[in-house]
Amino acid sequence: MSFELLQPDSLPGALKALAQHGDEAKVLAGGTAIVLMLQQKLIAPTVLVSVGRIPDLAYIRSEPDGIHVGPLTTLRDMERSLVIQTHFPLLAQASGEVGNIRVRNQATLGGNLAEADYASDPPTALLALGTQVTATSLRGERTIPLEDFLIGFYTTDLEPDELITDVFIPASAPGSRTTYLKYRSRSSEDRPCACVAAIAAFEAETCTDLRVAVGAASEVPQRLPAVENLARGQALTDELIGEIAAGYADNIDTLEDIRGSAWYRTQMIRIHVVRALEELRNGRR
Amino acid sequence: MAVGKSVPMLDSVARVTGTVPYPSNLKLPDMLVGKIFRSRVPHAHVMKLDVSAAERLPGVVAIVTAADFAGDDKPNLHFGSPIQDQPIVAGDRIRYIGEPLALIAAESAAVADQAMDLIELEYEELSAVFDAEQAMLPGAPILHEASPDNIVRHSKLRRGDIDAGFAAADEIVEEVFSSPMAQQASLETHVATARWKEGKLTVWTGSQSPYTVRRVLGAIFDLDLENVRVIVPPLGGGFGGKGNVRIQPMAAALAWKVGNRPVKLMMTRAEEFVTVTKHAAKIMIKSGVKFDGTFTAREVSIYWNGGAYASSSAHLVPAGMLRAIGPYRIPAVHVDSYGIYTNLPIAAAYRGAMSSQGVFAHESHMDTIAHLLGIDPLELRTKNLLRTDDLFATGERLHDIHFVECLEAAAYGLGWHEPLQSDNGTIKKRGRGLAVMMKNTIANSYSECRIELDAEGRVTLFVSTVEMGQGGHTALAQIAAEALGVPIEVLAVTGPDTAETPPDAQTASSRSTHMMGNAVLDGAASLRQQLAEAAAPILEWSPDDLSVADGYVFVTTQPQARIPYTEVLGRNNIDALTATGKYSTNEGKLDPDTGQGISTPDWHQGAGACEVEVDTQTGKVTVLRYHSASFAGRVVNPTLAGLQNDGNVIFGMGASLLEEVAIDGGQITNPNLSDYMLPSFLDTPVELKNVSLEEEGSSFQGIGEMTLPPVAPAIANAIYDAVGARIRDLPLTAEKVLRGIQGRTDHER
Amino acid sequence: MSDRTLTLQVNGRPYTLEVPSGQTLLETLRESLELVGVRDSCGIGMCGTCTVLVDGRAISSCLTLTAQVENKHITTIEGLSQDGQLHPVQQAYIDHGAFQCAYCTPGFILSTVALLGENANPDDAAIREYLAGNLCRCGSYVNILNAVRACRTIDD
Ligand SMILES: Cc1cc2nc3c(=O)[nH]c(=O)nc-3n(C[C@H](O)[C@H](O)[C@H](O)COP(=O)(O)OP(=O)(O)OC[C@H]3O[C@@H](n4cnc5c(N)ncnc54)[C@H](O)[C@@H]3O)c2cc1C
Ligand code: FES
Ligand code: FES
Repeated sequence: MSFELLQPDSLPGALKALAQHGDEAKVLAGGTAIVLMLQQKLIAPTVLVSVGRIPDLAYIRSEPDGIHVGPLTTLRDMERSLVIQTHFPLLAQASGEVGNIRVRNQATLGGNLAEADYASDPPTALLALGTQVTATSLRGERTIPLEDFLIGFYTTDLEPDELITDVFIPASAPGSRTTYLKYRSRSSEDRPCACVAAIAAFEAETCTDLRVAVGAASEVPQRLPAVENLARGQALTDELIGEIAAGYADNIDTLEDIRGSAWYRTQMIRIHVVRALEELRNGRR
Repeated sequence: MAVGKSVPMLDSVARVTGTVPYPSNLKLPDMLVGKIFRSRVPHAHVMKLDVSAAERLPGVVAIVTAADFAGDDKPNLHFGSPIQDQPIVAGDRIRYIGEPLALIAAESAAVADQAMDLIELEYEELSAVFDAEQAMLPGAPILHEASPDNIVRHSKLRRGDIDAGFAAADEIVEEVFSSPMAQQASLETHVATARWKEGKLTVWTGSQSPYTVRRVLGAIFDLDLENVRVIVPPLGGGFGGKGNVRIQPMAAALAWKVGNRPVKLMMTRAEEFVTVTKHAAKIMIKSGVKFDGTFTAREVSIYWNGGAYASSSAHLVPAGMLRAIGPYRIPAVHVDSYGIYTNLPIAAAYRGAMSSQGVFAHESHMDTIAHLLGIDPLELRTKNLLRTDDLFATGERLHDIHFVECLEAAAYGLGWHEPLQSDNGTIKKRGRGLAVMMKNTIANSYSECRIELDAEGRVTLFVSTVEMGQGGHTALAQIAAEALGVPIEVLAVTGPDTAETPPDAQTASSRSTHMMGNAVLDGAASLRQQLAEAAAPILEWSPDDLSVADGYVFVTTQPQARIPYTEVLGRNNIDALTATGKYSTNEGKLDPDTGQGISTPDWHQGAGACEVEVDTQTGKVTVLRYHSASFAGRVVNPTLAGLQNDGNVIFGMGASLLEEVAIDGGQITNPNLSDYMLPSFLDTPVELKNVSLEEEGSSFQGIGEMTLPPVAPAIANAIYDAVGARIRDLPLTAEKVLRGIQGRTDHER
Repeated sequence: MSDRTLTLQVNGRPYTLEVPSGQTLLETLRESLELVGVRDSCGIGMCGTCTVLVDGRAISSCLTLTAQVENKHITTIEGLSQDGQLHPVQQAYIDHGAFQCAYCTPGFILSTVALLGENANPDDAAIREYLAGNLCRCGSYVNILNAVRACRTIDD
């Protein structure tokens, strides 16, 4: 395994390195995914650009319209962040459900998103939250909605010369209730077999807004706005919840892996959308 | 009294400071790294294997292929205990994916990896077979021409008139159970370092069978056994996978070709999965019963998938035959146990060896029968469980039998007859299950030790018992300390080192405390006798009138006339007294056609009972409470015994709920610890309790495995109790349980 | 070209080493510094035998390149006992028989130290949760729980 390791201490330095080496280069953040791939010789970059020394890429910054999370923020810091726990409890939950303590101490949000592993937790929560990813290269900066950022199996919209430099999570309507459910079919240490993130706003019993993202069951996490809209202006009755759950179960093309068959995942989507929505209706924030 | 106390493991400080000298830590001067070039096809004729380019790579010191074994003056290519059908490296024939073809010794792992890419292999693929039953069909691909039916071993048991038994039955129940291939997954992987010096071979290795390794290496290299030395430091886990002979011949062959430098060979996690596995098994079990729950007959057929070479299957298949019957009074029993060659990595012992599969079958089957007859599962079992003086299916008369006590201890510990806590609505349902096991131990077995007492009063125990975490050395030290009347602090235990420590069959099948423990008692008795004889002239009494205890030799009738051991040695100018202790069992001969005879000196007995919660919408099973019990005879160290009992339950939960080696076209697709999951802290029951049953006047019994085999059926039975779904195929995954639940409701609709 | 010289702070001592760029912290600690209490088992972050503390936080050294932790404070099991005196967590593991083969033990002890650093009085659920990423194939979990309970400042 021989590659050149670059450890630029500024963002421009890193962008320059990426621009220069293009496809030959890989970004190293926490390393939990990429070191494994290097060790197992699944990738053989000639240059590895470590972003660990770039200052000010690990932050959780609260602004009136939402929060900005730096790409180098570890999942453990997100899990334990008071700001995130208070304003986006489902994101704290999803971050806290990832792997084990050691992984969360090392893994970064940027790495998690750029890796685009279907069996992940944070992307599903972030999708429900309407997250925007900022990608920067020497060519400039662009902001990509997460649904456009995540393209397929281990594939994102990032160009080889781009870095994720910011993740923006817009504030939810005040009083929104949220939940994140991770379903593991095997050990407590497993990645999700299916996961559901849901956010709802209510006026009295009436649901004024509903967002549901389902992850780990298909190539990329998915929201189905047409199905979400069934809830708008309605009370979340058992019947309506069942209808929404069926909408997700029937319209997501599930995959099969060691954690469960496609059939099983369809069942898990239905069950967990129901459970998530019942939780929201019954008043969990 | 050292026995019966929870003394910490002798090397506890090393264990918590990270300084245990595991074989994986070994570094020798000038040591080379060994790596294995492996096949990627399951069955093929090798047309060409060219390693010349790899050999020329700077940093590569030697490459071993089958060609190195051609010629009368060369080592033997094939090895195996007892059937020599396994080549050290494949010659003209590849029989499984991952089979070694060439061995590389290099200055560094990086160089060895580069060399790997320079090896040229050409082959012609043959059709392959992976399923044991299919391999027995006419026309199936043949792995070894000497076994045209692909059967490694077929063992049989015939007792009573089976037809009459089934004819007399009110109900006949027939079921088929299966257990998948699994992997032992000790956290330390297999490792062996070999060195040749002046025609002598030394191997340091993580092995449960040092003397078997020595014998087999001697046969491969045609060496007198005193020229083969096998040293076994403490292991980072064994669980059966490190029994018999595994990678040691490869390390030795590399060092032999290299000549003057040691070579270390250590498996990666992925390589572990092609080094050794647990037998996948399919078991057909059929019973005849009367309405009152009396058994009239039982027929069992077992198909063990042994993989590409005989290895341990040759002796495990007959053992597995006995372990699939169940500890019950059944007048007519027929069993056929087949070990079968397939194009998969070899299968061998896995903690609870050849019991787990059979106990899952017969104990799930017992519950099916109990429910059919409307009898409580505990009652059906206690009604039929074997007692002392009963005859087992082998025709042998049983002694020291405690199945009922074990089962009741587990069941009552759990609160079998108490009402279940109310369910959390209708989604989560609770249920209880129990199971019991019986296992023969290794028959015709021999253990020997040496005990040395020096002039400073230190005692050293030389044993070939492998310390693999079970605390075997500590337990033996306790036994020796008590027998010699010395404090545990003066005890040191050394070995295994075949140059220093006397022979022992192997550290497996929970035999060490019993076998070696008795050898230690024998050695201690002889040492006490020597002390008495040496003290006699000093005390001016005949040795027969002297007693030896608590560090003193004294006159039995005048205990104040005494001298300490150290003085006995000092006044006689003796540096050290040495005694040898031996213990052997002779029982163990079954008629090959009928399986009748005596199978074992002792029976391992254990039971478990649990309460589970099943999520009826996901099928996910949570084991909330688990109580286990084993018969220990006399407990040497309660803490260590508890660790064994609980450790078994946790290990068993892996096999029950999680572990399955996934195979696609002979390729293992999950050879890592994230796709092949082991039980975590959170996967273990919040309430996990165990008891080791003791009996006045009893000897030490091994307790390494007894609480493991009941785990899978206890959980499966609890799932049935909770949701009415009978899962007959391990592991009990959430998806299978959900399908079971839905299948049932569909059926009822 | 791909080797680099760097300084590591391990167990309170600086080490300056030549390290290939692709070398993991596990390899450096085990092979170059001969700290064999750091162990390889799964190589993919699942088992915890390679656990070390970096600035007090537990990480998997098998998934960390050595260059990533340059100048950070690394603690291995070898750095826990002081002047031959066992760390209280080490002593508790002995007192409660919290190991069998002990291949997993250094990782568990370091994770326990990290846990207690964050929370001096974890309840049972918190202990189980925190340590769930360290696997013990021998199944010593019950005794490990007892050992960690004994390390709480308020022991009940
Ligand atoms: C044992 C284990 C268990 C796990 N369990 C879970 C789980 O349960 N749920 C879950 O969601 N995940 C799980 N994961 C995955 C884990 O979340 C990811 O590996 C991690 O988030 C990746 O982050 P990192 O900083 O370590 O990335 P790295 O390994 O450093 O990088 C990952 C990828 O992202 C790229 N990259 C990193 N940062 C940037 C950036 N700023 N801009 C552009 N590209 C970038 C890299 O080039 C690389 O391709 C698990 C991982 C392990 C090892
Ligand atoms: S070896 Fe690093 S976590 Fe297993
Ligand atoms: S004590 Fe052996 S793995 Fe934990």
